[in-house]
Amino acid sequence: MVAEGVLEIDRLSKRYGSVLALDEVSFELGVGELFGFVGPNGAGKTSTMRIVLGVLAADGGAVRWGGEPITFAMRRRFGYMPEERGLYPSMGVTEQLVYLAELHGMRAPAARAAAAHWLERLGLGDRGGEQLQKLSQGNQQRVQLAAALLYSPDVLVLDEPFSGLDPVAVDVMSAVLREQADAGISVLFSSHQLELVEQLCDRVGIIRAGRMLAVGSVAELRAGSAPRYWVDAPDAPAGWVAWVPGATLIRQEGSRVLVELATPAGDQSLLQVALTTGPVREFRRDLPSLTELFRSVITEEPGMSVATPGRVTEKAAR
Amino acid sequence: MSSAVPDRSALSPRRAVYLIARRELLTRIRGKVFVIGTVVAVALIAVYALLQLLVIDRINTTTTFKVGFSGPATVLAQPVEAASPALGFKVHVSEIATDAQGRSDVRAGSLDALVDGTPGAPQVVVKTGIDPTLQAALASLAKQHMLSTDLSAAGLSPATVESQLNAVALRIDTLQPATAAQLQGPIIGFVMAFALYIFIGIYGGVIGQGVVAEKASRVVEILLSTVRPGQLLLGKVVGIGLVGLIQLGIIALCGLLFTVPTGVLALPGAAIGAVLIGVMWFVLGFILYALMLAATASLVSRVEEVSSATVPVTMLLVVTWLLAYVVAIPAIDAVTGGGAAPHGLATLTTVLSLIPPFTPVLMSIRMAAGEVPLWEGLLAILLVLGSIAGVTWLGARIYANSVLRFGARIRIRDALRR
Repeated sequence: MVAEGVLEIDRLSKRYGSVLALDEVSFELGVGELFGFVGPNGAGKTSTMRIVLGVLAADGGAVRWGGEPITFAMRRRFGYMPEERGLYPSMGVTEQLVYLAELHGMRAPAARAAAAHWLERLGLGDRGGEQLQKLSQGNQQRVQLAAALLYSPDVLVLDEPFSGLDPVAVDVMSAVLREQADAGISVLFSSHQLELVEQLCDRVGIIRAGRMLAVGSVAELRAGSAPRYWVDAPDAPAGWVAWVPGATLIRQEGSRVLVELATPAGDQSLLQVALTTGPVREFRRDLPSLTELFRSVITEEPGMSVATPGRVTEKAAR
Repeated sequence: MSSAVPDRSALSPRRAVYLIARRELLTRIRGKVFVIGTVVAVALIAVYALLQLLVIDRINTTTTFKVGFSGPATVLAQPVEAASPALGFKVHVSEIATDAQGRSDVRAGSLDALVDGTPGAPQVVVKTGIDPTLQAALASLAKQHMLSTDLSAAGLSPATVESQLNAVALRIDTLQPATAAQLQGPIIGFVMAFALYIFIGIYGGVIGQGVVAEKASRVVEILLSTVRPGQLLLGKVVGIGLVGLIQLGIIALCGLLFTVPTGVLALPGAAIGAVLIGVMWFVLGFILYALMLAATASLVSRVEEVSSATVPVTMLLVVTWLLAYVVAIPAIDAVTGGGAAPHGLATLTTVLSLIPPFTPVLMSIRMAAGEVPLWEGLLAILLVLGSIAGVTWLGARIYANSVLRFGARIRIRDALRR
């Protein structure tokens, strides 16, 4: 039994002509979870999101929400921000927000109130009467976000919401996404800004060439990679790292070395060997950033996934 | 949080179509294109009506013939002058002393015609040629004069004979009285069909561009996450169609206001039935073609490519118009003219007018002429309604499959695939 409100993406497949765009893509989006979807261009992020929103039909697999196959009516509870921004350029900002809210089943008065609320919240309170095309790129993007949030969706699907934003707008966008997730809304978004994803997301999915390579929290992804340590033993002779079983020298910066260990337990012998050479000024675990994890996952041969894709429990602790 | 569908996401298909149509209507009617287009069209009609008035006035003043009479033929001068108002032109008669003087006046152009000779055998001298109405009038008056002279010679009073002649009336029993609608019907049907042709040309283009503009701005991706392709397609067709009808209504109303009081156009009161039938075919025809245009337009991604993508549909429209011109109108002309239609033409017209893409134009012509049996008319309406349903389904499929594929033009075969 899948908990209420959990969005399951179950073995989605999609083929464009001879190109297999999605190859049994699976992951889950828990209630109130902020999920970052990362991968190189053309990896299948947009296709997956379009299938979730029903604007693209999958060749195989299923999308379920709360354990039930997703329907057209359910999708009206989803907010969507497409990769290619799409609104009417010559239509008024408030007017088109009200229109989109009504198309999602809201009545006009509620739609107007929601449009006013979100324009205010996103710092566009006084721009509602203007044509969209008169707004700057960043402000148009805020309107686009407002269009996705307007009708208080239960699930938000945002394709590259941060692209093209200035640092201030990035902060506003991050704050809004965090706030939405904290209010119990499930948020799925794709991005190439990996530091941002690392800092913002509860869980991350890495996709390449239509295959999910890794799914999990950043900590879980790290658990799958070999541990690395920075060691500063100034009196140690060159090549001392080779004395440690299972240790590989990755980099040397002056007297500091970056060492990769074959097993997590190897850290104790690394420290002992270092101490035998004299004083140890630094001994620090080097936690790989998402960017590094991403690189290592992406450059591996297909099929050699770091973490097993598939079911990872919904975020219950938060 | 519940995955149950809450009330507020209930959006009936009718409301979806209504919302889409309303947006098209409101944004376009306030747009520059609509306002300027309507103002220009109304101004053109006003100018046309004004020109017509001026031209009619000039025609009225210039059709005066200056006719000189000399010799015995002078007795004809009075009857010619008396008869001229009934003949639709003015005659300015003058007596010319000599034949030679008259000839030189004609040559100089101060006379349009010189009549000399005897009343029974008048000779008319003109410079280059004679106006046919003037010629006919002169000939008939000469004959009448001859008759009066002969009657007098036989001892009868020409006045008595004339009054007896006038008393002879022809009683006419019409078995199938031609109504005003029947006489004006073919013209109205023709005008309505032509208006439909032009209207589809203009507003069908607007729909095609609207579809591609939505595709190009990618708004369609958000729309399709909440409404179905068929609803979006129908909403656009209804909304833009209404914009067109409103514009056409404004133009037609202004046209009537300008032309009826000035007498340029007489309002055919008895032809309202033909107009109503025309309006019905107008609406059905527009919906049918607009759906096809919208579906084919969705195959391309740039507004510049719309006209080439919609060529199959516009060709169909041109073919319809050719059929109307080459087959239907001659057949109807022959029948309403009292004769039999040329062999096979009537049957061909009947068959063609029951083929849905041709029906709106051909039927509006045929029904306005009043020669369509009821069952045939109803069948035609049913067939068109059925094909509208079919085209909506097929169009929605093409639309759904191509509207999110950007870039190169999509082949219709690929768009029809699942």
